[in-house]
Amino acid sequence: MRYFILLISCVLYSCSDNATLQTYFVENSESTEFFTIDITPSILKTDALTLTNEETAALEAFKKMNILAFKKDSINENKYKSEMTKVKAILKDEQYESLIKYGSNRNGAALYFAGETDKIDEFVLVANQDEAGFAIVRILGDDMDVNHVMTLFQLLKKSNVDMEQLKPLQQFMK
Amino acid sequence: MKNIILSAVFLLSTTLASAQGVFDKFENNESVASVIVSKKMFEMMSKVKVDAKDKEAQKYMDLLKKLDNLKVFMTSNSKTANDMKSTVTSYLKSNPLEELMRMNDSGRQVKIYVKSGANENIVKELLMYIEDPSSKDKQAIVMSLTGTFYLDEISALTEKMNLPGGNELKKASKNK
Repeated sequence: MRYFILLISCVLYSCSDNATLQTYFVENSESTEFFTIDITPSILKTDALTLTNEETAALEAFKKMNILAFKKDSINENKYKSEMTKVKAILKDEQYESLIKYGSNRNGAALYFAGETDKIDEFVLVANQDEAGFAIVRILGDDMDVNHVMTLFQLLKKSNVDMEQLKPLQQFMK
Repeated sequence: MKNIILSAVFLLSTTLASAQGVFDKFENNESVASVIVSKKMFEMMSKVKVDAKDKEAQKYMDLLKKLDNLKVFMTSNSKTANDMKSTVTSYLKSNPLEELMRMNDSGRQVKIYVKSGANENIVKELLMYIEDPSSKDKQAIVMSLTGTFYLDEISALTEKMNLPGGNELKKASKNK
């Protein structure tokens, strides 16, 4: 009997649980049609640098970056379309707000965010190209703001990038 | 009575909010390229720290705070261009916008309309329609910008963001 209840609650839970970007990433990370990569702030090798207060704050606000990409080939046209629809539906969630959209239906990019404009929890970038596939980039942070982002970009230029973390990406692109 | 007022207010606010929405159908059109910037984006961009001495940058940041939405739709398809034209025409019939400027330069037509705010200098909405049958990838362009701003502030924005019709807008704001 107890197992039965457990089973029921499990089923109920998974049904009621709306698809989130998190579950979407997890579900597809094992699939061969998808490619994922996780990047941590340690990708920026800053040991040799003396960081300013702003740079330290920016690094602290940035938690991680997850990338999920779907590579389109000659036979998965329908899957590509249905996955795009799924992603769009998830991003319609009230948690995400659209910032900027650019391009056409066939290829373009859109940027979303969650949180408040000066306390950003997450950025989501979705880019698609009908011939190539699509990619979702999640940038997760803790009370990020625009100036943190700008500082990180500057830091990216002057610090060494840990290429080990990007290896899977290079292999995927081949 | 209270209910009537409430529902009237509600109706009014929804129609105001969706006024710009008539052009949204172009967003999912195969032959349309678009740029859509939301209020949140402008808000976020206005928080970027700029050099206090840089007056131009300061002015630009101040303007960003006053903007709500920017929508630009471009098409390379003549049929969609016609659809855009008729959508603009019907939009102008149902919304009080006045013509600010009309230009015709060897087939390229530019029309700019504004919806004024509390006084004549304040613009609540700027609508631009550009038609150019001779252009291959930009047969028609619709641009709509909402917010509460002065017209002469906008030419700086169109320049910075490389938006269409920047020159025409510059002329129009000078004439006003």
